[in-house]
Amino acid sequence: MNEATSHIEFIIGEEKRLSEIVSRAEIEPLLRSGLKLGILRATLLDEDDLPLATLGAAPSADRGEPLQKRLPIMVEGEPKGTLLLEPDGSNPAFEALARLLQEALQLTVTNNLKRMLTTEVHTSIVQESYDQLVSTNRRLMESEKRYRDLARDLEKKVVERTTELQQAYQRMLQQEKLAAVGQLAAGMAHEINTPLGFIRSNLNSFAKYQNRMAEMLGLYRLMLDKEASPEVIRRQTEQRWKELKLDFLLEDSGVLLGQSLEGTDRIATIVAQLKNFAHLDGMEQQPMDIRRELEQLLAGMAAQFPPNTRLTTDLHQLPLLTCRVPLMVQAFANLIDNALKSRAEGLELTVRAFQDADQVLVCISDNGCGIPAEHLPRIFEPFFTTREVGKGSGMGLTVAREAISGAGGSIEVESVVGQGTTCRVRLPQGTASPDHPDRETP
Amino acid sequence: MIEFDELHGKLVLKLVYYGPALSGKTTNLLSLHDRLQQEGRGELMLLDTTEDRTIYFDLLPFFYVAPSGFRIKLKVYTVPGQVRHDATRKAVLQRADGVVFVADSRISQMAVNAESFANLEQNLTLVGLDIEKLPLVVQFNKRDLPDVVLEAELRETWAPTGLPVYMASALQGQGVLETFQAAVEGVLKSVDQKLGLLERYQVDQSAFVQSVVKTI
Repeated sequence: MNEATSHIEFIIGEEKRLSEIVSRAEIEPLLRSGLKLGILRATLLDEDDLPLATLGAAPSADRGEPLQKRLPIMVEGEPKGTLLLEPDGSNPAFEALARLLQEALQLTVTNNLKRMLTTEVHTSIVQESYDQLVSTNRRLMESEKRYRDLARDLEKKVVERTTELQQAYQRMLQQEKLAAVGQLAAGMAHEINTPLGFIRSNLNSFAKYQNRMAEMLGLYRLMLDKEASPEVIRRQTEQRWKELKLDFLLEDSGVLLGQSLEGTDRIATIVAQLKNFAHLDGMEQQPMDIRRELEQLLAGMAAQFPPNTRLTTDLHQLPLLTCRVPLMVQAFANLIDNALKSRAEGLELTVRAFQDADQVLVCISDNGCGIPAEHLPRIFEPFFTTREVGKGSGMGLTVAREAISGAGGSIEVESVVGQGTTCRVRLPQGTASPDHPDRETP
Repeated sequence: MIEFDELHGKLVLKLVYYGPALSGKTTNLLSLHDRLQQEGRGELMLLDTTEDRTIYFDLLPFFYVAPSGFRIKLKVYTVPGQVRHDATRKAVLQRADGVVFVADSRISQMAVNAESFANLEQNLTLVGLDIEKLPLVVQFNKRDLPDVVLEAELRETWAPTGLPVYMASALQGQGVLETFQAAVEGVLKSVDQKLGLLERYQVDQSAFVQSVVKTI
């Protein structure tokens, strides 16, 4: 039972006083009826003989010893009160009247007691139901609060985790980008080193040639100063010309300079390609010539081809695609890079780009290791990788898909373990022809 | 114990007849009322019932005055047996001094008896009474009916509990007094241990019991 002070608590069977069971207002009408019928004075006394109600004339001294009648009033079989009656003279019906009054009072008392007892039980039940309700309500409120707190914490935790994940993702993206840049730099260094090597060698040779040519020119000037005969001049210079192998030098100089110019052109091309990568974060939408970009990309990545690679290309001229060009180039680079890493040697790489109905299709296929069926659904997840720890952080396909879907396209990957993988990139048809690029892109 | 008034030398005790619906708790009280002398007991108070089913409780009071003038009032109650009146059972069970568990002897009613007894144990705990210490008497009623569980079987089942077990037919008036007497003895013994009735108020147990169970 709840011990709250507001509760009315009954102990079933608790002893009751007569005054608790009947009220004066209930007794008096009965006593009054008695008076009307010839009783001089009627009193109901409680268990301590104290009057609960009294009606009738006050006892007067001159009446002498009154003929009083005392009748018990029972509560639960126990006399708890007394009905005290004084007759008006010698009323013959007094005895019967007294019994009648006692019966009536007794009935009232018993009925009241029954009513009280049922009320007590009823109150106890209601009280208990109420207590149960209150306690259920309290438990509900506690559990609701718990769930509310939990929900709030959960939301907070989700936000925290999401932020952490995003940060980790950004970090990995950055790492991946850095790794890509590192790899690119290594490739590019190799590409630049070759022309740089022969340009330097050519210039070395040219410097020696230039010394000999200067010597020859000095000889001419000396001869002219001496005012030697033309015959002497002809003989001496002819001899020196041969000694200095100037015929070969002059011919070779042209070749050297031509080669060096070509070398600088190659370096210039590489630098231009590097610029594209440098502007990877330049997110301006630009028209992209898919064929040209793929060609450049394949040329740029040629250094990373595994030994005995056979490259097959089928690149059609396609309408310009409006997209974030560096991102799209990165996407294709990632797909080609995956193909290059799918086989240690003897790679057969096929790159096709063509129009398919109202879409542009770019297919990159390899004959590499393939992707197990159970991994296929996960390959676009960030950080998912099948490579060894430390070798890349996955995400190549994540980045690729982001770039492709950003341009309104889609990518699907088909793979058979041990036979190879085909990536099919569908892109919306470009809006302008490559010959007349529409610069006013949205 | 409902009331102990040292000043006025008065004690009010409560004995509760508990058990499943229709096991004969009210019939037990009616039988006691019919068979016991009117002197020393009050009238049987049957509170409102529907279709003769108890929904509140029944009450039969007994009185005893020791030679010292110390008065003891014993109120005997029944509870409604129907499952849905659990709150009433709990209310009546409060401050009980003893319990008579009235079981139905019929084979078909054994599960119902067990359920009701479990309910008694639970409710005693809820109202703060210790079933181990509370005087408890078990009565298997309706022995006059066919298809009842054999007495030997019942006794064997209940022997481990150490509780006094009585066979009865409240309708025929058999075993009712014995059950009641055992319960009254149990209650008085327990109260005597707590209050030292004999020493302090010269309340003799057997005199009390004899007074209460005096037949017509």
